[in-house]
Amino acid sequence: MGNPTAETGAPWRVGLLFSKTGITSVIEQTQLQASILAIEEINAAGGINGRELQAIHYDPGSSTTAFAQHAKRLMIDDGVTTIFGCYTSSSRKAVLPVVERLNGLLWYPTLYEGFEYSPNIIYTGAAPNQNSVVLSQYLLKTYGTRFFLIGSDYIYPRESNRVVGELVRMAGGAVVGERYVGLRAQRRDFLPLMRECRQVQPSVIFSTVVGEATTHLYQAYADAGFDPRIMPIASLTTTEAEIGAMGPDVGCGHITAAPYFEAIDSDVNRAFVRRYKKRFGSDQTTNMCVEAAYFQIHIFARALAMTNSIETDCLRPMVLGAAFDAPQGQITINPLCGHTDLWTRLGRANGDGKFDIFWQSRMPVDADPYLVGYGAHVA
Amino acid sequence: MIREQTGREPAARARQEAALAALDIVVMTPRSADGELLIRELQRTRASVRHCWPAPETYPVEADVIVSEWVPRLAHRLPWVPGQAKAALVVVLPAGPLALDQLHDVAADALLPRPFTQGVVAAIVLHAHVRFAYEQRLRARIDKLDETLRGMRTIERAKAILVETRGIGADDAYHFIRRQAMDRRVTINAVAAAIIDSHELLG
Repeated sequence: MGNPTAETGAPWRVGLLFSKTGITSVIEQTQLQASILAIEEINAAGGINGRELQAIHYDPGSSTTAFAQHAKRLMIDDGVTTIFGCYTSSSRKAVLPVVERLNGLLWYPTLYEGFEYSPNIIYTGAAPNQNSVVLSQYLLKTYGTRFFLIGSDYIYPRESNRVVGELVRMAGGAVVGERYVGLRAQRRDFLPLMRECRQVQPSVIFSTVVGEATTHLYQAYADAGFDPRIMPIASLTTTEAEIGAMGPDVGCGHITAAPYFEAIDSDVNRAFVRRYKKRFGSDQTTNMCVEAAYFQIHIFARALAMTNSIETDCLRPMVLGAAFDAPQGQITINPLCGHTDLWTRLGRANGDGKFDIFWQSRMPVDADPYLVGYGAHVA
Repeated sequence: MIREQTGREPAARARQEAALAALDIVVMTPRSADGELLIRELQRTRASVRHCWPAPETYPVEADVIVSEWVPRLAHRLPWVPGQAKAALVVVLPAGPLALDQLHDVAADALLPRPFTQGVVAAIVLHAHVRFAYEQRLRARIDKLDETLRGMRTIERAKAILVETRGIGADDAYHFIRRQAMDRRVTINAVAAAIIDSHELLG
């Protein structure tokens, strides 16, 4: 019952929804590559219970409606129940009703703004309490209390800034500017913002700009002649991939908070980075989105090996509470909220386009997507 | 004590009949003998019934209930992705055996089996409509809860500011925010955010 193909040798089919084109394709392609690497590793080791893992990939072209349409296509035409994908929160919110109504399982390997819980999504990127909290504390202590927030104009930056603004104010700091640019923003769109920064002289520029616009922000900053040692750009979304796209000289000295950086000094990570570069080229770097996209497929495969059924109602209970030795360290799918208990790290971009990790949590930080453990009081 | 409620039943029935009569129904069925019967049964409800055949590649959005034959690629003819439906869907079952997996994909709100019997068509359409409306209400409630959860922290902070600056209790602070929201016809979250902003502005 429920899984008529369990005894056959037919492949396990899953869906991949990452963009190869459009404004967020730089980062989404790295997530796609990471998924492919994990699938190839699983198949090289004999598949799952002797059956090959087969992925069907569609390119939504960074378009929200295309994400919903392709999710529908995967679940209805291809008969897939498990989908790995989505980078922006808008695309996740477009796929969510589809997987909820048809009872699929979406694995979402990207940091996001929190305040969501779907029984049909496994969240493997950072929630705000796993990046924003430590980052804002560090910035307040090191650079000062005046924050200038710049983000791309969609759900994630606005919601993330709501949280960051609150954290800053709670600690006695102030938001001295909050500006949003279009997802297709060009360098000229950042020029007035840089002029404003020169005027109000914030302690730090806090960025949740995503996609190609990231390069333009950092370039505009460099052109304005600002000094990252005095007023850095601190970001939750700038990874090795974006630094690579803008060039290491432009990104050098700026700060990012993430569960994972390529520079993590461990055997598991070194081996992971080696395999990734061997497969996709020595010029490729790993990043937090790559790592999450990679480990989530391994967690899925282990759960599937135990259930031998890809039905969401069988698989999800097996996934909840599962632990894995990921490149970032030991991580666990939090059984209470379906998010992942991850490490918090702070990194500063260096001249080689990598991040030097200068702070990390002593153990994984429990996911708290609703920030229940972080009070909301007057400072 | 059990009271006889003789007067209640007709009133309740009238309400349901009125609910049916208010519906906009689109029906996709051939004008065969049993197709005609289906259309007649729908019209008997006094609902507004539009007939459409052959089934279009993309179904219309403007309807309360879509009653459709089990046509090929039905899931793709619906002008929405699953979970974002804009109308209740009643699937008219074919006489033969069914593909259960495709039925799952279509995400119908009710199924109408053949042969059609008097009264049953209306009951099933009403059931689909009621269930669909209930699902919409639940979705709206989740959206509202999400928004409230996000706004809760803003409201807590605004309350704390009022308690501190006006020397009032937490309950009074909340009532103040709520009254302002009602007077200005904006959300409580918006008032709370404005209080926080002005507090920061004035130092």
